[in-house]
Formats: sequence, structure tokens, C-alpha cells
Amino acid sequence: MRLPRFEYLEPSDLEGVLNLLATQGDDTKILAGGTDLLVRMKKGLLKPKTLISLKALNELSYINEEDGCIKIGARTPIADIIASDLIQKEAFALFEACEKIGAISIQHYRGTIGGNILQDNRCIHYNQSEFHRSGRQPCHKDGGKICYARDEADRCNSTCQSDGATALMALGASITLAKKGTERVVEIANFYTTDGIMPFAMESSELLTEIVISIQGGKSSYKRLAYRSAIDYPIVCAGVFLSASDTKKDEIEDARIVVGAMGRSPLFLVQESFSLKGKNLNDTEVFKKVADSSMNSASTFAVHNVGSTLEYRCVMVSEMVLQALKGAAQAVVAAKG
Amino acid sequence: MTTNISFILNGVELSYEIKDHWTLSHLLREEMGLIGTKEGCGNGECGACTVIVDKLAVNSCLYLAIEVEGKTVETIEGLSSTEGSLHPIQQSFVDNGGIQCGFCSPGMIMSSKALLDENPDADREEIKHALAGNICRCTGYIQIFESVEAVKGMGGQNE
Amino acid sequence: MSKKNSEFSVVGKRIPKLDAAQKAMGRAEYIQDIKVPGMLYGRILYSKYASAKIIKIDISKAVALPGVHTVLPGEDVPEKMKMGFYKDNPPIKKDKVCSFRDEVAAVAAINPEIAKKALDLIEIEYEEQIGIFDPEKAMEKDAPLVHEHTKSNVLKLPWNIHYGDVDKGEKESAFVVEDRFTTTGVTHCCMGTSGALALFDATENLTVYTNTQIPSLAQKDFLETLKVLGLKNKRVRVIKPIIGGGFGSKLDTYAYEHVAILLAYKCRKPVKIVFDRVEEFKATSTRQPTVTYIKQGCDKNGKLTFRDIRMVLDNGAYTSWGATTPTVMMMPISSLYRVKNVRYDAKCVYTNNTYSQAMRGYGNPQATFAIESNIDMLAEEAGIDPIEFRRINQNVPNETTPQDFKITTCGLAECINEVEKELKSGTAKEKGVGVGMASLIHVGGGARIYKSDGCGAILKMDDYGKVDIFTGGTDMGQGMDNITAQIVAEELGLSAEDINVVHTDTDICPWDVGAHASRSTFVAGNAALGAAKKVKQKIQEFASKFFDVPAKEIQFKDKLVFVPGDQEKSMPIDKLLRKAHFSQNGTMLMADYFYDPDNESFRKDFKCNLSATYTFGVHGVKVKVDEETGKVEVLDYIAAHDVGQAINPLLLEGQVYGGVLMGLGYALTEEVVQKNGENMNANFRDYKLFTAKDAVNIKAPVFETADEAGPFGAKGIGEPGCVPTAPAVANAVYDAVGVRIKDLPITPEKVLAALKEKNG
Repeated sequence: MRLPRFEYLEPSDLEGVLNLLATQGDDTKILAGGTDLLVRMKKGLLKPKTLISLKALNELSYINEEDGCIKIGARTPIADIIASDLIQKEAFALFEACEKIGAISIQHYRGTIGGNILQDNRCIHYNQSEFHRSGRQPCHKDGGKICYARDEADRCNSTCQSDGATALMALGASITLAKKGTERVVEIANFYTTDGIMPFAMESSELLTEIVISIQGGKSSYKRLAYRSAIDYPIVCAGVFLSASDTKKDEIEDARIVVGAMGRSPLFLVQESFSLKGKNLNDTEVFKKVADSSMNSASTFAVHNVGSTLEYRCVMVSEMVLQALKGAAQAVVAAKG
Repeated sequence: MTTNISFILNGVELSYEIKDHWTLSHLLREEMGLIGTKEGCGNGECGACTVIVDKLAVNSCLYLAIEVEGKTVETIEGLSSTEGSLHPIQQSFVDNGGIQCGFCSPGMIMSSKALLDENPDADREEIKHALAGNICRCTGYIQIFESVEAVKGMGGQNE
Repeated sequence: MSKKNSEFSVVGKRIPKLDAAQKAMGRAEYIQDIKVPGMLYGRILYSKYASAKIIKIDISKAVALPGVHTVLPGEDVPEKMKMGFYKDNPPIKKDKVCSFRDEVAAVAAINPEIAKKALDLIEIEYEEQIGIFDPEKAMEKDAPLVHEHTKSNVLKLPWNIHYGDVDKGEKESAFVVEDRFTTTGVTHCCMGTSGALALFDATENLTVYTNTQIPSLAQKDFLETLKVLGLKNKRVRVIKPIIGGGFGSKLDTYAYEHVAILLAYKCRKPVKIVFDRVEEFKATSTRQPTVTYIKQGCDKNGKLTFRDIRMVLDNGAYTSWGATTPTVMMMPISSLYRVKNVRYDAKCVYTNNTYSQAMRGYGNPQATFAIESNIDMLAEEAGIDPIEFRRINQNVPNETTPQDFKITTCGLAECINEVEKELKSGTAKEKGVGVGMASLIHVGGGARIYKSDGCGAILKMDDYGKVDIFTGGTDMGQGMDNITAQIVAEELGLSAEDINVVHTDTDICPWDVGAHASRSTFVAGNAALGAAKKVKQKIQEFASKFFDVPAKEIQFKDKLVFVPGDQEKSMPIDKLLRKAHFSQNGTMLMADYFYDPDNESFRKDFKCNLSATYTFGVHGVKVKVDEETGKVEVLDYIAAHDVGQAINPLLLEGQVYGGVLMGLGYALTEEVVQKNGENMNANFRDYKLFTAKDAVNIKAPVFETADEAGPFGAKGIGEPGCVPTAPAVANAVYDAVGVRIKDLPITPEKVLAALKEKNG
């Protein structure tokens, strides 16, 4: 399978990349590992005129602990994250998520954490060959006005199936978006639009440079459901962060529940998260209630478009949230001794 | 756009004029005639095109040729010695039934080599993990795992 | 006949696959790798509708594109050109399309990009029509017709049998269970995609490189194509490159082959068409999806009293050999276990889905899924342990079944015992863990589904004691090459490396009906053995004069020709061959042999002895069902087979392991998702093959019943691995959590829904 033609640029440093991004238009794409981008190009889903390669930007590949935070360069390979003791210790959900991405030879070496966050939303009606799509009216994401997944939808309902983004949102991570002469920091939870056509709230002149996870003394867990053990996207997943009170060690102080692969972005369930405050870490009944409530909240966003049945995926939200809650709670209890 | 790239291919330094949009698998197969690297899907879903770039197993169908500039590339053709004897991993795949139709074999062997170079004592779980991106329809994988495990006992160096 | 394993020198040995080294080195050439000078790249344009009239086609823009040599619309294809078992499928459609897979035009260009671009420039105006996608609905009276010239979507194929008296059997039953089972379309997923390269020589003889499993029948089909093109008395040569997997997918000739020929003829240049992966998913066939209504009964002691099966098969839009799979389904239906009263009625129905075809097991997996799931239900109804139930009804050696199958050797009892041992070992029952089993009967001695079930072999020996054998058999990775070599080597006292197996070229290889029906070991093996015996006899005759002993006293071993007990009378075989060659009126040793097994074609009532011997097996599986997610995890698997004689245990195990994992995919994860006839998961990400991480521990014990008809006692084993896999898993899931899944694949959502229903 061949790629369409494009111009390839390989700036030697970050400044060079940002300079180029500032002058190029929308038909420029950033090439990091290429495991998502090049597939989309081969399918004719994207036809960029220019690719800006991050090959030379080793400066964006690092995992550091700094000022009570884990800082990860956006071009850090998935494999490095899996291998990091720091991530395993302080951001276990991210470790669990990265482990499940694709397969070692495909995504772990080439795929990057930045690329995983920015992997495009998917939909079984959209992620098809060019010929398949040419036989029908284009959908929203393909430049048209139709949604094949939900009748009369006014926008694209493609689904975010990023493992990494779901875990990072649960960890309360922020990302740094740089553009020429300036940069901004955004919480991942605020990084998404409400339209699957362009799911990310970023400008074409911006580059994702860094992921920051503040170390908050809690524990996290990530659980996902997929049909097989590799080369598969989750059909539903959940990331959970829990921390215990300093004074009462069995009491939940802070909680964050995020459900992935159910909507246009990972879904941070504010109400369910808040409802766990002050609850006992060992109270499985509460977890079950919260998990069921998570299912109800997340279900409203989902459409039948990433394999399996919608009904099943909805039911499984509850199970994944419950498993992640238990995983995180156990880790908190174990850490407290 | 055409670019001249320099890289090391199977131990030989070379420079080659390429088109920017070529993938590494295209360069190897279609331009250089190194047909040992197979392409089973072109989308990074099957692993038949696996080669080793700077010690890591990667899918050459999703690797731009232009990005191997300055890197070291190993393909299946580089594994056997110049005298023609098989690399211990190749020999082990032959001896242990790891090869049936053979289409996945070069990629499977390259993924195995990347694993064993890094971790010569890899156990079954580690082998499964390392080969998870390489699909085989013939063998049910069992004899492939046995092939990788048996390399240890063959007394051969992986290099 | 029956020798013990220890008495063999080469047979029964784990000799690595003969072509494995070249494959390991990346030197094996597949159709993807073959280029010839001046070669053009062909590409096919497919329909954008499942059912539509073609109103207009405009190829002018494509023709004008620089680099395009020719554009072939349907109207340029001779009317008489039709493919398939029913000859209902033109390689390019002219007026009407009946499925998304329908070819509507083709191009040949100087490179693949231009070919693709040219397809984009072909303008076709369609008038969409209502399609029909459910085979049961397609049988209804007012269903839209897939082909207007037929009166009904039901194919006129006579697939029905009635042996004994089913109604009486039912009346006499103490227990009766009935149910409905369905199976979906799965596909072969050969790692090497399909492709063909066609070229004409200066005198218009045709050579086709194609990864076919039926070189001789393909040659016949291509000759038909030449005839339609007005090329009479021309020759066709079929060359098989190394095949990147077969599994039944290449048991017919297909549009890409005929289109490559048409394009090559039109341009007078070599044209190659190779599928990309999406095309491989969308434009190759599936296993027949089936709906099965089954009723079985037994007496109070658990003895089967009758079996009554009605089946509907989704034929898809055209008719390939897949439509004949009911003939193989009849085998387990009439002859798996001893049951006197059997009725079977199958209807193949046209739909606007992709047309179905042969796939490993050829109908047997679908039928066995219904039978063996239902047997467990019947055993439960009768209050008998499912293992015991099978034992009560097991097939035995030397018995003729109601369909007239003459079962000679039969190791089913041994297989049941072995699986029982395995399933009953281990710890006490854990929650969510269960075991299941299922048995199989399959053709093990060829299957006469064509006028001849034969295979030819030509054997020659050279001055160095080496053998070249030219066989009609086909290797596609399964190991026909080794089996042939090991059989010949055993017979002539040589080693396997001394045997060069040539199977790639119809110019030099004799006729064979094809690599199907698990027949290569048995039929190609017997052909090779026949040729080896003839040569052996000739050598014995020559040596007899030389050693001055009767010919029959001369033996062969370790590359020596010798008279036992007389050290003086021994000579290396190569030396003897040279003596024969380089003497006055010299001779070189060659022989040919055509083996056609002693099996029979179906009579009108579908009775016959279909195969010269039958392979039996029992599979047992232990699963763990996650009751929260419905996910089924396979913990352990055992597949015990009666194989007659393992010619090469290493490769035999490979066949079983690979078959079982393919069967597990069928059971659990694989499905070609078709939405109104359109394939929605045409890639390896969405079509869920098992990955290495999902691989399962499989034990593959063999029982060697040494069948007299088989070469050194061997029976076929290519397909059985995937035959009873799905019902074994379904039975295990039932044992684990008490829900019976009757529709494949057994996905987590189906298990969970069933659990919910059960638990209220």
C-alpha cells in the first residue's frame, strides 16, 4: 500500500517546528511515530501537503520528576513509559493503559504518548477504504452532512478510543501546547471540542510538547475491554484516581472517574467522582452504585460505531469503572499499609 | 520530492535516492528487490513487514524511508551469514515447525530477533508479548513460541 | 502392512518442512514478489451497490490517462465467459450488479498508482435496487430475486437425504431435543493476499502464475477462457509460486485470474493483479453462513434414535464450490456416531451478500456445531454424562454407516478416552470454569466430489542417488512436499533431503484434482508411493541380475541396496544407478503413477463410500467465563485424532494447532460483518484473528490405527483441527455458567445477555 505524495520537512529543533507550523496551513501534519497518521493517509482519510517530522526532536523525549510533577515529553515512545519506574509508581493507570496499546512491535517503539493522545477519533463508518467511502454520501468527518452512526445527528459522533488520554484524564494531567513565541497549559479534561470532526481544542499552528501529571499521593487504575489481547482498541475503558485522607486513612479524599471509548472524548464524570468524597475505600457497595451511575452518565454519549453492540458497551461501563475503582482502592490501601 | 539518504542496511553503509513518500517496506521490496520483507496489510496490523531499525522491531509499512537516514536497518536478508548458513533463530524456526506458508515468517523472525537480542532468556509470556503484533494464520503460534524458546538451547550467538 | 513406528527410517520422523529454510531466509517468492519484464499492473473496479442496474459506463477519462494500457468494461468481456460451479458469474458484470464484490471494470497500467487513478476516472451510472441479505427471508415468496432469470432465490441443488425412518425413530425416542443454530461468515485470512500474473507467448499460449490450490482444474478453466476468446488449440501453463496460505480459499478460479488473462490478451503484455488487504477481505469468499434446525432423539439408555436436520445456507450472489458443502455436511449428519434414522434437507439461497466458498472443513464445522451442541443438550435431557453419551453412540471399526460409508479403521473410542482423561484431571470445579467436548468424522482418504479424485506422480532418479518427483499435489504450507518426500525416501531407503518435490508447474507435473478435503497426504502420498514402488521394482530387477539373487530379496536402507545377511551383496544406491545408466543399453530409473482412490461418487440418494478412509477425532476444552463481562477465556485445549499413521508428527501437530486456533476464532471472535451486503470490517484490526497473546495451550495426541488404504497407514489431517472446535467451546461455556450459545461467534455480549436472561 502506497502513501500519497507529500512534502517532508525535518526541522532540527523545536523552534524550527514551531516556525514552520506558524507559516504552514491546515494541510500540514505533524509526524511523530506515524502509526496513526500514516494509516489514515493510506486510507485517504487525510491528504496533507506537508509532513513535519519530529525525528530530530530528541528534546521532546523524556520522563522526569520535577516540582512534584511527572513531566513527559510528547514524543516519548510508549515503550519508554511502560518501562519507567516513576510512571509505574506514581501514575499506574498510564502504565496500564500504555501496556495495552496496539502491540509491541507496532506501537510501543514507534508510537508516542503525544500521538496516542492525538490519535484521531474512530468510527466503523468512517475508518474505511477510500473506495468504500466513495460509494455513498460523505459523513460529517468526511466533509459531508450525514452521520451513519446516529440518524439525523448534526455533528460527528466518532469515538475517542485513546487508552492514554483516558488514563491521563483520570490522573488529572495537563498538556502543554506550544506555538511560535508562546505556549499554554491545558488540563486534558478541557482539551476536547464537542465535535468528532476535530475532537481536539487546538490550533493547527500548535504543537503538543509536554504532558504534566502532578503527583498527588493517590493511586490510579485503568481497565479496558477489548476482544483480544493485542492490536485492538478498547470498546470501553475506564480510568480512576483515588486518594485517601491524611487523617482518616480509609476515607476517600479525592476521586476522579473517567470513561473512555464511549464518546467523542474521554468522559470525566464529575458528579460520580464528587460523590465518592468521604466514602470508605473498602465500600464495594458504594463503588457499585457509582459504577452504575457512571454507566448512566456515559451511555448518553455513545453511539453504535466501534464494534460490539451499543447496549453491551453501555453495560460494560459499569463493570470497567467498578474494576478500576477496586484497583485504585486496593492500591491506596496497600500503600497506606 | 527526492532525497538522498544514507543508512546502514544489513551491515553495509549505503546511500540511496528515494522519494519522500516511500515507506521503508516500499524501498526495500519494490526499489531494492529485498522481497524477504513481506507486506500483509500495509497498515501496521499484521507485522509481516517487521524489520529492525536501531535494534527495535518496527513495521516497515508505517516507517517512512526518509526517516531511516542515519539509522541501522536489519532485514531478514541480513540474518543469514554470507556463507549462507542460517542464523540460529532462522534455524530454530525451521527445526521446530515455526514455518508453514512462510508469509509471516520473516516478520516473525525479525520480531524474535529484536526480542532475543535484548532479552536472550525471554520466557513464554515475554515471547507472546513480543510477537503480539505479528499475525500468523497457519501455526496457531505454538510452534513459533517453541522455535523462539529453542534458540537458547542451540548454543548460537544471536549476532 | 502396518509397521511399527520404530521400524520406519523416515516416516514418522519430525523432519523440518523442506522449504522452510528458504522461507526463513526471505527467499521464497510469492505472487507479490514476482515481476517479469514489461509487466503491467491490473486492478479491478468493484460495485458501489449490493444490487443495482448498470445504466451507463464511461471509460473515456480512464483510457486517456497516460500510463494506462487498457480499460476493460463488462461489455468487452465475451458473453459466454462465466465462472464458478454453476457458471453464473461473469468475471466483469455488464448490466447488473448483485453484490458489493461485483467486478464492473478493470484496467492495466504501468504502475499500481496509475491503475488506481484510472479506476477513479471510470464513471458508472447505477440504478439501485432492493437487495436481500437474509437467506431465510430470501426464500420467502415475494422476496426480491437476486437473479431475475431464476424463479426463486433457492438454488436448484438436490441436497437432501433420508435414511431409515426418522418419524418412527422419533416416536420410539425416550428423549428428544430440538433447536436452531446459526453460524456466520468467516474468512480465510491468508497472510499472502490473492493474485495472478498472466502472460501470452508469441504463439498465444498462456502462462498464468497464480496461488491456486487447484492447478489442473484452473488450467481447465483458463482453457475455457481462451476458447471463449477464440483461441483454440492453445496451451495453458499454470505455475504456482509459493502460496501464502490456502485454507480452501483458492479452490476455484476467480475474477482476478480471468481478468488478468483478459487484460494480458488485450494488451499483449504480462499483467499482474495482486489484492491489497481490503480487497482480500471484500473480494474473496467467506465460509457459508448457515441456519440449522436440528432435532435428535435417544432411547432411555442414551442410544441415538434419529437425527433430523434442516439447513439454510447463504450462498451469496454467485455460486462457487461452496454451494456443494452440504455434500460434506451429510458426512457428520449421517455418520458421526451410530444413528440409523437420518434426514437432512439443505437449501442454498442466493442473497446479495458476497458469495461463499470452500473453507477448511468444507461445511463440516457448521454441521458439527449444530450436531455436537445438540448432543450435549440431549445427553443432559437423558441424564447421561456427555462423555458417556458419546461412548454409547461411538463409531466402531469395520462398520458401514447409513450413508454407505465404509468405516474401516476408527480410533474414536481411544480419542474419547484420552480427552476424558484430560478433562477429568485437575482440581475441583471452580466458579465460571467448565469443560466441553465434541467429536468429529472427516474424510481421511480423499473425497470424490469431482469426476476423478486422482493425483499423478512422475519420479526420476539421477546418477547421484537423488530423486526428483513431479507431483500433481499442491503445497500451500501444509506440508505436502514433506509427506511426499518422506514416503518416497522411506520406500527407497533414502533420506528426505534426497528427494526434490516439484509441484509448481502444470507443464511438468501430472494432473491432480486439488489440495482439498484433507487429501494430500492420502492421495498425493499414495501417488508418490506408487511411483516409488515402481522404481523400486525396477532397481530390484536390475540388482537382481547384478547380485544374482531373486529380486524380492533385495532391500533398501540408508542409501544402500543390499541383500540381507550377505555383506558382499550391498552397494550404495547411487553407484548402482550409475551402473545401470553407464552400461551397454543403459537405463535410467523413472516411473509414473496415477493414483485414484477406491472411493465413490454420490449416487442419487447420496449414498456412497465418499472416502477411502475416515479420520476421527475428539476435542476437549476447558474455559473460564467471566460472568461480569461475558468474556470466554480458553484455558486448555486437547485435540485427539486418529490419524492412521503420522508421516511427520512435527507438521501434523502444526496442522492441528493451526486448525484449532482457526476453529477458536470461528467459535469466539471471527465474523465478517456485513451491513446490507457491505463488508464493514475489512482489515485485521476489526476482523479479530487471535494474536500471539491470545494463543492457547493445545495438546495434540495422535492415535495410529494404521489404515490399510493409506500410505504407510496414514489418513488426512489438514482440516479436522477446526471441525469440532466451536461446539466443544459452546459445550464448555454451558458447563461453566449454564448458558447455551447457539449463534456463532460466542461473543462476550451474547454470553452476558444469556446470563442475564438466565438469572432473570
